[in-house]
Formats: sequence, structure tokens, C-alpha cells
Amino acid sequence: MGELTFAGIDGIVILTVFAIIMLVIGYYSGRGEKNIHESLSGYYLASGNLGIVALFFTLFATQYSGNTIVGYAPSAYRTGFSWLQSISFMTIIIGVYLLFAPRLYVIAKKRNFITPTDWLQHRFNSKGVTLLAIFLMLWGLGNYLLEQLVAIGQAVSGMTGGTIPYQVAVIAFVLVMLAYEWMGGMKAVAFTDVMQGIVLLIGILAFVAGGVYLAGGSFGSITQFIAENEPAKIAVPSAEVNINWFSMLILVGLGASIYPHAVQRIYAAKSEKTLKKSFARMAWMPLLTTGLVFLVGIIGIKLFPGLEGNASEQLVGVMANEIATINPFFYWIMIIFFGGIVAAIVSTADSVLLSFSSLISNDVYGKFIKPDASEHRKVMVGKIIGIIAIFGLLWIAWNPPGTLYEIFVLKFELLVQVFPAFVLGLYWKRLNSKPVFWGMVLGAIVAGLLTFTGHKTVYGIHGGIIGLTLNFIVCVGGSLLSSASLKRDPVLEEDLNAVYIKA
Amino acid sequence: MNKQVKEPIRKKWIWIGLLIIVMGNVPWYFSDSMVEPYILGFPFWAFFIFAFSVVLCAYLSWICLTQWKIVEDEEEVEK
Repeated sequence: MGELTFAGIDGIVILTVFAIIMLVIGYYSGRGEKNIHESLSGYYLASGNLGIVALFFTLFATQYSGNTIVGYAPSAYRTGFSWLQSISFMTIIIGVYLLFAPRLYVIAKKRNFITPTDWLQHRFNSKGVTLLAIFLMLWGLGNYLLEQLVAIGQAVSGMTGGTIPYQVAVIAFVLVMLAYEWMGGMKAVAFTDVMQGIVLLIGILAFVAGGVYLAGGSFGSITQFIAENEPAKIAVPSAEVNINWFSMLILVGLGASIYPHAVQRIYAAKSEKTLKKSFARMAWMPLLTTGLVFLVGIIGIKLFPGLEGNASEQLVGVMANEIATINPFFYWIMIIFFGGIVAAIVSTADSVLLSFSSLISNDVYGKFIKPDASEHRKVMVGKIIGIIAIFGLLWIAWNPPGTLYEIFVLKFELLVQVFPAFVLGLYWKRLNSKPVFWGMVLGAIVAGLLTFTGHKTVYGIHGGIIGLTLNFIVCVGGSLLSSASLKRDPVLEEDLNAVYIKA
Repeated sequence: MNKQVKEPIRKKWIWIGLLIIVMGNVPWYFSDSMVEPYILGFPFWAFFIFAFSVVLCAYLSWICLTQWKIVEDEEEVEK
């Protein structure tokens, strides 16, 4: 993030204000709502009662993290115009939701699902599939959470010019997050997301305005500069880049939509109308976020030419420093912008943590360890294990890995393997548990091996997509070959036919 | 009322449309020389990719609003 010497004490003040607002929102979300702590649905899904404003902002603030700015601007800086792909791969997520969310919403409401695993258990009734899916999802969530923890520390210590050291920053914000989440569960997470999302949006807009001002105001002159000095960054992308671009669309589209916290937001919607309206608005958000961040990276090429590798990762910090010197207005806007980045990271981390806890409460503890425990107890177990997990991950986070982007791809590689079971299972009655299980195992092994042996992409195609292809082949082929297709299960039959009967 | 039930997965045209837009949204069909002319500051190819990105946003947003209606009527009645 760089040394943001411009902030210091002012940065601390803004961060403290933000932290207090989050705590107050958390307190009021939980106050007087006994249901929140007594039921899984109350704590983890806000009783399935999120209205349009809360649902939209929680979808938005969860999906777009601080990394979307801090990590993507340097990507645009390094790769040039081919980073336009960041708009498409964030938009395509909505397209993938359309594949399964409409029907999943209906079934989930009817059967009171809490976690994605509930659907898999309901559909396949197989211990193997359930356990493996839990494992893959916890792995994905854990990695994602780790990434957010690393980012919080970098953002805060960068913003305060090192006045608040990295580790203190992480601990402070983790405690704030744990506190409001403990008090209000999903309701607190969603309501804080409203505040966090608004701050992030204001920040990005101001940042772009400052950047354009610094660069002289004309986009054409920036492109001209790039054409003269770094023509590769405006060149038509090569075949391998295009293949990678397609691969990225599939990986992010399928992976991000199937994230447990993303799926749980489908469950938490108050109504179908609320859900589809939120998605319809979300479809435009990439233009306002990754699109503007792309612009920031491109402007950066002219303002700060020649940064490479790690130096380029500091782009946002370096640029914010410059913008802050324009005048006092921009100075404060930049401080709010950095506060916004921290808020954005926290808003993603809190959702991931909540989802992590719900998998522990409802799936690991509730399905395998003590199914007959009271819901209050299940919620408690999830909360406490969540806290233990956070501190375990913090221990790892003290040695942050290289660039943020690399971990980002790693988490999708495994998580995306749940996709065939999850979505194909909604529509294809013949799909059965054995091929689904082996598809997931083989897909995860191939994806994991390719990543760990340094073949993250083969001819531009991500390892996760190669694993997923194998996974799909095993699922479909195995199901077609197995003689006994769907076991007559009247409940399942009813669910899968629900939409057809209505029509 | 029953005829009003709409589920995106069952409408083939939605997915054909999406595929066409996505194919247009990845710059595999440009030759190396198509950097110029510049349009609104964008290299020629990138302008088209950006335009397709906007179309993708609009298309998906529109599909959500108009092609998805399974239990909405029942839920609205319950309210």
C-alpha cells in the first residue's frame, strides 16, 4: 500500500469514526431481537428478511473488497487495456446467478436452508458429498478470509503512515468486526455493509476525479502517451490473453456466485422481488467499481511511468498521496477514500466469517457432531469456532504472501468444484451422488496439483477450469452410466418439479 | 396467473443472447492493426470491448427484471 505520509493522525481519526459507526450499527441490529441469538436462521440469515437496500448493499460490499481497488488498479497499470476484462468478469457473475438463483431461492425458502450444504444434503443425501463440499467450502472461505486479514493490515498501516503498525491494525479491526458480528449476526453485517458500501463508492468516484485532474483531464492524451511510450499496453491482446480472458470469465463467474456467503444472500432475501431487483442493480456495479478502477490504473501509466512488480502494487497509495496534495478538499476525500478501502475489506471479511461460522454451526456441528443440540448452542459453537479460526488465520497472516492476486485465484480453484453438484443437481434428476463425489474429488485434485506445481494456467486456461471440466465429465458420464437413476424421493421430486407444476 | 411464471434457465434465447454478447466482449476477433483509430480516447478494439461490457450489464439487468418471476405473485399476495 505504500507510505501514505499524508494521512497519519487524520487517518486514525477517520478510522476511529468508522469503527464507532460500525459498532453502533451492530449494537442496534442486535438490540431487542432475541431471535438473532436463539435461531440459526435469525443469526446467519437475518431471518430471511433482508429488504432491497440492505440486500443490495450487502451483495455489493461483500463482492467488492478493498482488493478490488488496491489489487486491480496495479493490474490495469501493468497489463493495460486488456484489463477491461475486470468489468466483464464481475458482470458475468450475475449471469451465472441467473442459472440457479431463481429456483434455489424457491426451494431454500420452502425447506428453510441455512447453508449451501443444506441443499446438497437435501439433494444427494450422501455423507461423502456433504463432507467433501464442507471441506472445499471451508478451505475456500478460510483462504479468502486470510487474504482479507492481510489486506486490512496493509491498508491501515499504509493509511496512517505506519503510525498504526500492521499487526495492531489487524487486531483492532478484527475486534471491531467480531464485536458487531457477535451482537447482530447477518443483520449487523448487512446494515454495516450499507455504510461501508456507500463510503467505498464515494471514495472511488473521488479518487477517479482526482486522478483525471492530475493527468490533465483528457483521456485521449493519456492513451496518446501510452501509445508513444508503452504501445504493448494498448495493443490488441494475443491469443493466449484472450483464452485466459474467457477462462477468467468462467472461473470468476462460477466461483464467485457459488461462494457460500453469496449463496446465503439468496437465502436471506425477503422476497423474490427483492432478490431480482438487487441483482438487476448489481449488474451495473462493475462499471462503477472495476470499470473506474481500470481507469485509475490507466491514468497511473501516464502519471507514474515505469513502476514494476512490487513497486506497481503501491500504485493506489502513491497516487492518493499526489491527489491529496491538490487541495484540502481532496486531502480529506483521500483520507475518507482510504477509510473506505478499509471498510470495504472489513465488509467482505465479516460476511466470509459469518458464512464460515454458519458452516461450522449448521453443518459440521449440527449435522455430524451433535444434531440434537439446541439452535442457541449451535449458533454459539459457530461463533466461538469462528473466533478461534480468525486468530489461527491471523497467525498465518503475519507472513503475508506475495501479490494479492495469486491467492485470489487459488481460492476459486477448489471452491468452484462444488458447482456441478450444486447447479446441475437443481435441474437434472438423474445426477446422483457417487459420480458427483468422484467428480469433486478428481476436479479438486487436478486443480490443486496444477496450482501447486506452478501450472496455474495451461495455455491461458486456469487449473481450476481444467479440474472443473473433468469434474463435469465425471458427474455427467457417471450419472448416465449408472443404471438406477433417481431414487423415488417424493420430497425431492416435489422440489425439482416445483417450478414446472406451477407453470 | 400460471402463465406468468418465468424462469430464466428455461428460456433458450436468454443464453444464446448471453453467449453472443460474451463472444463480442473478448477481443479475439481483432487483427493486430486495429489499435487505431482512437474513439473517445480508447484504442479502436478496446472501445468495442467496453461497449460490449456496457451491453452485458444492461442485458443481465434487464433479464433479472423481466424474465424472472416464479413465486413473486404468491409472495406479494401473502404480504
